Amino acid sequence: MAEKNYEPDLVVDSRDSTCPGPLMDLIGKVKGAESGKVLELKTTDKGSKDDVPDWLDKAGHELLEVVDRGDYWSLYVRKS
Amino acid sequence: MDGFAIVLSSDELERVQAVSIISSVAAASDIPVDIFVTMNGFRAFDKEVIQNRDFNGGEAAEAMMNAEDVEVPLYPEQLEQAKSLGPLSIHACEMTMELMGKSLDDMVELFDGTLGVAGFLNAAEDKQVIFV
Repeated sequence: MAEKNYEPDLVVDSRDSTCPGPLMDLIGKVKGAESGKVLELKTTDKGSKDDVPDWLDKAGHELLEVVDRGDYWSLYVRKS
Repeated sequence: MDGFAIVLSSDELERVQAVSIISSVAAASDIPVDIFVTMNGFRAFDKEVIQNRDFNGGEAAEAMMNAEDVEVPLYPEQLEQAKSLGPLSIHACEMTMELMGKSLDDMVELFDGTLGVAGFLNAAEDKQVIFV
């Protein structure tokens, strides 16, 4: 996937939190966001990096990109 | 089937934590969850036990308690967060609480109320039941 520069409307910083902290933080923010908004989830938890896309798939939101930042991942999500 | 009804009868941290994780993510995803706390499960919700972090458990519980550099979200905060995000109800077994000489005042403020077995079966009627 080519790296694009998404400008998130909202940043959810869940670094250092383990499963399911990042997912729970994201769900909370996604619920409060308007449709079409882009959220960036920052996580250092590999399990969450792999699990959050499964939740997005089921919940119907779009995973735009996962960017490896070296010491954490950025997951860009567009709310449906 | 519409959601999960989970019977929590253990106070082992790893079991309580697993129930909390699954329930919280389900409820936050709008899947209804009812947790029925009974038997030894009550100990995990006792204010003093939580305040003193006096948890029972095995290897995984110790790993959670001693985790360094990472923040493990423990079940009291997690369940509270989940209740604000979705359909999660936590019920206390009236019979066990009476037997143990406890009341909801001794417990952390996560309970929606007390239930007897008939009340639990009603709540569980259309749900998948999980016994822990």
